[in-house]
Amino acid sequence: MCFKNLPIEFDSAGNATLKPGAADPYLYTETPVQTPIEDDPEKMRELLERNGHVRRVDFDPVTRVAGALAFHTVVDLDNREVLETASMATLFRGYEIILQGRDPRDAIFISSRACGVCGGVHANASALAIEMAFGISPPPMGVVARNLLQAIEYLYDHPIHLSLLAGPDFSEPAMRDTNPEIWEKALSTRVKGRATHGYEFMSEIMTDLTPLTGKLYLEGLHYTRVAREAYVLIGGKFPHPQTVVPGGVSTTIDTSDLNEIMLRMVQYFDYGRKTIAIWNDICDFFYEVNPKYRDIGTRPKSMLEPGQWDDPYAYDGTYENADDWARERWAPPGVIVDGELVTTSVKMLNAGVEEFVEHAFYEEWVGTTGGPSGSYPFPTDPSGNPLSPYHPWNKQTIPKPGGTSWKEKYSWSTAPRWDRQAMETGAYARIWAAAQAPEFSHARFIEPTGKSLKVDLPKAELPNDLVEWKVPETWGAFERNRGRAYCIMYTAAIAYDNLLIAYDLLRKGGPDARMSVPYKVPKDHRIGVGLWSAGRGYLTHHLEMDNGVLENYQILTPSTWMASPKDPFGNPGPYEEAVMATPLLENYEKPEDFKGIDVLRALRSFDPCMPCTTHIHTDERTISREVVTCACGAEGNHAH
Amino acid sequence: MAYQRTGFGEDMKLQTVPNAGAVFGANAPIGLGGLGGSPDGPLNIVHVFWIAGMSCDGCSIAATAATNPSVEDLLLGRIPNLPKVVLHHPVLNPGAGTELMRPMKAAVNGELGAPYVVVLEGSVPDDQAFPTDDGYFSAMGGGGFDPDTETDQPNRVTDWLWKLAPGAAAYVAIGTCATWGGIPAAAGNITGSMSLMDYLGKDYRSALGVPVVNVPGCSPVGDNFIDVVQAVLLFLQGIAPLPKFDDLGRPAWLFTETVHRHCPKAGYYEEGVFAEEPGDNQCLVEIGCWGPVVQCNIVERGAINHMGGCMVAGAACIGCTMPGFPDKYSPFYKAPPGSAISGGMSKMYGGAIRRLRRLSMRKLNREPLWDKTGEVPSPWAEKHKKPTGTDKTMSFFYKKLQYNNSVNQAKRNKKQPIPQSRDILSQKGL
Ligand code: SF4
Ligand code: SF4
Repeated sequence: MCFKNLPIEFDSAGNATLKPGAADPYLYTETPVQTPIEDDPEKMRELLERNGHVRRVDFDPVTRVAGALAFHTVVDLDNREVLETASMATLFRGYEIILQGRDPRDAIFISSRACGVCGGVHANASALAIEMAFGISPPPMGVVARNLLQAIEYLYDHPIHLSLLAGPDFSEPAMRDTNPEIWEKALSTRVKGRATHGYEFMSEIMTDLTPLTGKLYLEGLHYTRVAREAYVLIGGKFPHPQTVVPGGVSTTIDTSDLNEIMLRMVQYFDYGRKTIAIWNDICDFFYEVNPKYRDIGTRPKSMLEPGQWDDPYAYDGTYENADDWARERWAPPGVIVDGELVTTSVKMLNAGVEEFVEHAFYEEWVGTTGGPSGSYPFPTDPSGNPLSPYHPWNKQTIPKPGGTSWKEKYSWSTAPRWDRQAMETGAYARIWAAAQAPEFSHARFIEPTGKSLKVDLPKAELPNDLVEWKVPETWGAFERNRGRAYCIMYTAAIAYDNLLIAYDLLRKGGPDARMSVPYKVPKDHRIGVGLWSAGRGYLTHHLEMDNGVLENYQILTPSTWMASPKDPFGNPGPYEEAVMATPLLENYEKPEDFKGIDVLRALRSFDPCMPCTTHIHTDERTISREVVTCACGAEGNHAH
Repeated sequence: MAYQRTGFGEDMKLQTVPNAGAVFGANAPIGLGGLGGSPDGPLNIVHVFWIAGMSCDGCSIAATAATNPSVEDLLLGRIPNLPKVVLHHPVLNPGAGTELMRPMKAAVNGELGAPYVVVLEGSVPDDQAFPTDDGYFSAMGGGGFDPDTETDQPNRVTDWLWKLAPGAAAYVAIGTCATWGGIPAAAGNITGSMSLMDYLGKDYRSALGVPVVNVPGCSPVGDNFIDVVQAVLLFLQGIAPLPKFDDLGRPAWLFTETVHRHCPKAGYYEEGVFAEEPGDNQCLVEIGCWGPVVQCNIVERGAINHMGGCMVAGAACIGCTMPGFPDKYSPFYKAPPGSAISGGMSKMYGGAIRRLRRLSMRKLNREPLWDKTGEVPSPWAEKHKKPTGTDKTMSFFYKKLQYNNSVNQAKRNKKQPIPQSRDILSQKGL
């Protein structure tokens, strides 16, 4: 039984059904958020009398994250604690509206442009949604080519985060400025990973993490390019690949393409080993200096991974068989709640998703269509599992730009919840779900043990062939970064495995080695979903089409889950929750000295990526000119 | 910043901290880079403010892929004669929040004390149509623009854009969203998005008298962008010639040619051979390639470090560098109507040419020695075709034309003796 809060139970055959009895099974009463401190005269008076060091600390923009994120906090500098948080997505482009009323063949390339940090993932998710709606699936080589694209992409994506975005917060200048006593300690602390990375003292690692001049920074930048070179050989360009098509890819692959990709891919075997050693040393060192560093960015171990990298012989594009083919993936799906794997079914993962807009710049839509008990387009998924009126397939969003208020609306990100709980997602969730996967079909280089994930790649120059990521005991910013470092190795193994399969298919030739299948755009009513993760975790594209035109298109992205504002149950989003729990370990005496590095470390550990977080998931029917208060007009209102 | 207070006395307002986000120290150098640089040129320092509007950050990512030169080449001062370049970039900046916004505010208020270039990635939403503080589609930084007073709402990107315009040494739009509106401005959008040129108007000139420079592409080739930056800086330092821009402000040396002209599949087009399905190797026009009418250099320059490029990998062109993108190329994966005429003609004419070429190739695939011995010593084929009567006649006339007014190498070859140790293994009885 994976749901605690949703009104869903399972019959003896294991089928999900609505709990009987409730007239409005998905109805809820909203818990208002606590009055913001600055709006509460009593609280303010009390705080100001108690000590003078309660401060509003805003980070706008939060740099070294992708896209537009602003973060508001109220901190008590005397007690070294965070009293209030609000996470704000400050950009809205309306991609889903732009996708409505279009030929479904446009969706792959247009939705890919939702995110330029990892555009390829949207292209793949969109292709899966279209294939489900069209009733097609690519030949094995088409699937393998997509797998290769996506695996290679993460060999760029994880280094860019660890070296360019998160790394500088542990670099020499940042340490000297925010915790000089820890820098002093680093100067004399010998590290364990010397045989792998070559550094003797912690301080040397910190020096080389320095932006622009540090060797690790520049090396990371270099490795973001090596992978991208491999990517463009079969993707054409980056970040928006030009070769993903409905029913496969348009890539022309020959042996030299594969050879050139291999040459680049194998460089990550050693780079992965080295990065793991670096981040293990960083974690060990900080935990040793002060065990409270484990609490930076801590929150419940609740996370999601829909899975990715399809088995070329299992994937058939249907919703009906989705649970089966998704479990065959190199990254199998999983929902983890408080550290326990509660389901590996993508259909249950899908059925548990709802989006709420009480604190986002949109208007409620369920109330306007008759309430949760009223009729809504999809009370069940195509397999008969119950869906909430707040589920993306049912979502009708009404955008409403307006002033920002912590109590009311303050973000362009909606609040997605699974089983009405805030969830995080990301590279670490992916290896976590893989480590605990009850069955795993791709054991050539990867071995899940339930408590850990082992990756055994061929030896390159360095020793330590086998690496093992262990499911962490405590959860926070440092473990997120460590998990991401291990993911370079895990992803390199998936890339390499798929490369070997590509060689094999090329050798055998025949229909399996074709890149795509022919198709016709269907004219009847269809729906589809692409359940296929991004580098930063959870990603789904839900679509509805009729008459050969997209009626509804919804993209739900990883950072929407994590940057989310508060939900109607009074719970904060993951960033908000993680920063609330963050102790302020920075060295400061006066408010002027306070920089907020621990808050920033907590935020950056999620690898926020805002571009595709902020768009609307909308049904064209409900957008009207009145709700858009600007003069730009709501051209999305045309009939079809 | 972003906060509407329900309002009670100013004395009840929480104080802020002055250095939030400045994790490299309140006195650390601002921005990223500014290392090295030539003290001699007319310019010795230039600030670059990178602003993201309605963008996916893909242009930033593309710029970090550049290698000729790379971003770090510019920022570390590795190129002689260039000024110090200080980058203020939301994704890369070492410090956060006010750390990033302070120099931008100084520029708006004419207090930066150094020349600055503004780079916009992403299109411009119609936010100026909202009453101030009544919402936004795109915002960055808070607290307003006035050095002395602080406001409570987010600063709209559109405000930054117009306020920075008069003082900018140059204004560069990177990527198709900023240059021509792109996808955020496509049919059905509700944000009223437009290009930078549309927003600033046709009379805009930078402080140095330059109209908006446009480097399109969705996403652009990173090398194209850094190349333009380098070209402009070298010109300003009095070293390189004035870079040429076309009538839409595109760097002419990068965007004059159509991508079709340099396409690796252009020969297929000429011979009238077309891919039927994605993944086929031939010209992609029938599966939706618009290359013949699209100005783009990606196949010539490569996507990254001279590698990849759409058709190099087998991808059809959807015109992502063009002002008409995406709507004028939709639906994707469908043959452009114009290709029925030009493709049809090339099938007729190209079909004939192709056959003649295959004939020539049969001759050219043989060493002169084999012509003489009548044998091809390769077991890779069971039987090698002998030249037919037609081949011989063709070859006769071909040689006549080829060697006319020059030396007849065929004749000279006929006189060459056959090497004695030819076929050595059978001579040795092995
Ligand atoms: S693939 Fe496109 S650009 Fe290349 S030759 Fe064919 S039509 Fe021209
Ligand atoms: S070839 Fe076409 S699709 Fe590819 S980058 Fe150039 S304009 Fe864009």
